[in-house]
Amino acid sequence: MTAPAPPTPQAHGSAPEGAGSGAGPVARSVAGGWTGRARAAAVRPWLLLAPALLVLAVLLLWPLVRVFLFSLQDYGLREITTGEPNWIGLGNYAEILATPELWTVVLPNTVGFAVLAVAGTVAFGTAVAVLLASLGPFWRTVTSSAIMAAWAMPAVTGTYVWVWIFDADRGVFNDVLMSLGLLDDPTNWFTNRWTFYAIVLLNVIHHGFPFVAITVLAGLLGVPKEMLEAAEMDGAGSFRRFFSIIVPQLRQVFAVVIILSTIWDFKVFAQVYLMPGGAGSNRSVLNLGVWSYVESFGQNRYGFGSAIAVLLTVLLLVVTAVYVRTVLAEEER
Amino acid sequence: MSARRSPLRQLGKGVLVALLLIFTLFPVYWMLNSSLDAQAGHTNSFWPSEPTLEHYVFVLTEGGFGTFLRNSLLVALGTVLVSSALALLASVAVARFRFRMRTQILMMVLIVQMVPLEALVIPLFVQVRDLQLLETLTGLIVVYVALAVPFGIWMLRGFVAAVPVELEEAAYLDGASWGRMFWSVLLPLVAPGLVATSIFGFITAWNEFIFAMTMLGGASENYTVAIGLRSFFGVHSNDWGAIMAASTIITVPVMIFFVLVQRRLASGLTSGAVKE
Repeated sequence: MTAPAPPTPQAHGSAPEGAGSGAGPVARSVAGGWTGRARAAAVRPWLLLAPALLVLAVLLLWPLVRVFLFSLQDYGLREITTGEPNWIGLGNYAEILATPELWTVVLPNTVGFAVLAVAGTVAFGTAVAVLLASLGPFWRTVTSSAIMAAWAMPAVTGTYVWVWIFDADRGVFNDVLMSLGLLDDPTNWFTNRWTFYAIVLLNVIHHGFPFVAITVLAGLLGVPKEMLEAAEMDGAGSFRRFFSIIVPQLRQVFAVVIILSTIWDFKVFAQVYLMPGGAGSNRSVLNLGVWSYVESFGQNRYGFGSAIAVLLTVLLLVVTAVYVRTVLAEEER
Repeated sequence: MSARRSPLRQLGKGVLVALLLIFTLFPVYWMLNSSLDAQAGHTNSFWPSEPTLEHYVFVLTEGGFGTFLRNSLLVALGTVLVSSALALLASVAVARFRFRMRTQILMMVLIVQMVPLEALVIPLFVQVRDLQLLETLTGLIVVYVALAVPFGIWMLRGFVAAVPVELEEAAYLDGASWGRMFWSVLLPLVAPGLVATSIFGFITAWNEFIFAMTMLGGASENYTVAIGLRSFFGVHSNDWGAIMAASTIITVPVMIFFVLVQRRLASGLTSGAVKE
């Protein structure tokens, strides 16, 4: 996983956050300070925003438009050097959809993995949060420090450590299995699609559960104790208390961790690319992100790779949008 | 409450905590263990059977990892300086002013963070190439700034909004200029937010892999740590002792830092999520 980058707005203190609400510092500041002189005031926010907007426009928005434009071209080495476009319409998309591998390998690897990884990360992270909430201060600090260590491990080094642990010839995993008599000969776990992705899953859950655990823990500590005690008095068991009180109370928290985990797990790259065979030589483990990359930079088929990247982006946006809508619909009930 | 304190329950909880600690820390431990064992890559032992620092000496002297560390530091510091400055100015605009398009700009800042890097790497590669910045640290900084700015705006916006406007109004009434107010009133008060944003920018640049691999290509003298690691992989065998020593050098500073700031980090990350 890349660095944790949750787009969670910070709301320190009691400052109102609502965009465009009439009250609060935004409106009051009209009287003095920042927006003092009326005419200059209209220009000032734009002056302040200009550098950041310029960077975002040139380095994020224009590239996004461009990747779409590339996807409509046969953009290869010749085009990249001459800069002359070679439009082929939807040809790349037609080719992608006609590739049997897309349906048998790439999409199952991408979507199937994301579903398992999100479910695993959220379930495990929540279980850990519940455990943490029940611990005393000392053990809670010890355990959450350990969790922080797992979180802080960069995706690249974390992946290398897992690769080393499961190494076919010298890895400790094979050693232990053989010394226990569970395995006769060293096994290469990276050649089989299922065991390959099992290792990716282990890696991603190990790296991803701390964010879920810490976020859900913060939510759990905010659930009013009286509610839980009242339910206990009424004879509700711990499972009942969890699903009937805590889960509804933490709906927002779960929405955030599920959306963010989905976004992260749909586009795992380094965790696959750096494993043996993951950089394209073993085509049975390709996912959308790696496929796009190896077609572009391995085969110099930048147009085709762009079309795959567009597909990944659209898939991600659709999943996020559907999820956000579901959450919003439940809110309004 | 008595049911919760029963010995059986305590024991069960102890077992769960132990299993969790093993799962969480084993990869970290194994990385350290292999980095300190002269036999790493030959035989496995659960503690360093032949304790040595030779792998560390090797990666830092012969392995060229010192150069990679220097490159990563330069890139990370450059990213932090530029992205924090841009994000701070922008966050003042969205937190202190009401203007048309304000909501749309905030939405855009949020949405661009969802775009997968794989979709950006192809056009950005072409763009950085057109700027003739391929294989340079500057080119990488430019890209990382773009990745760090949206998050910085979101983060700092809350900190700026939390500074009481009265302080600025008082300074204004005292005749302070706009720039003076920025430097003497606002900046000191949002310093904690700037620290948090800087940490995020630093870690983004320190850990990033896909752009570093694509942009730096064959210029191995400009490799950052994340891709410099790959130089210890051989065609026939991998020097696992060296790989784990280098991984430790990359990981441990970030790790110590996370553990030290965990309380602030957790509250920072969750305040947005937990607030309704």
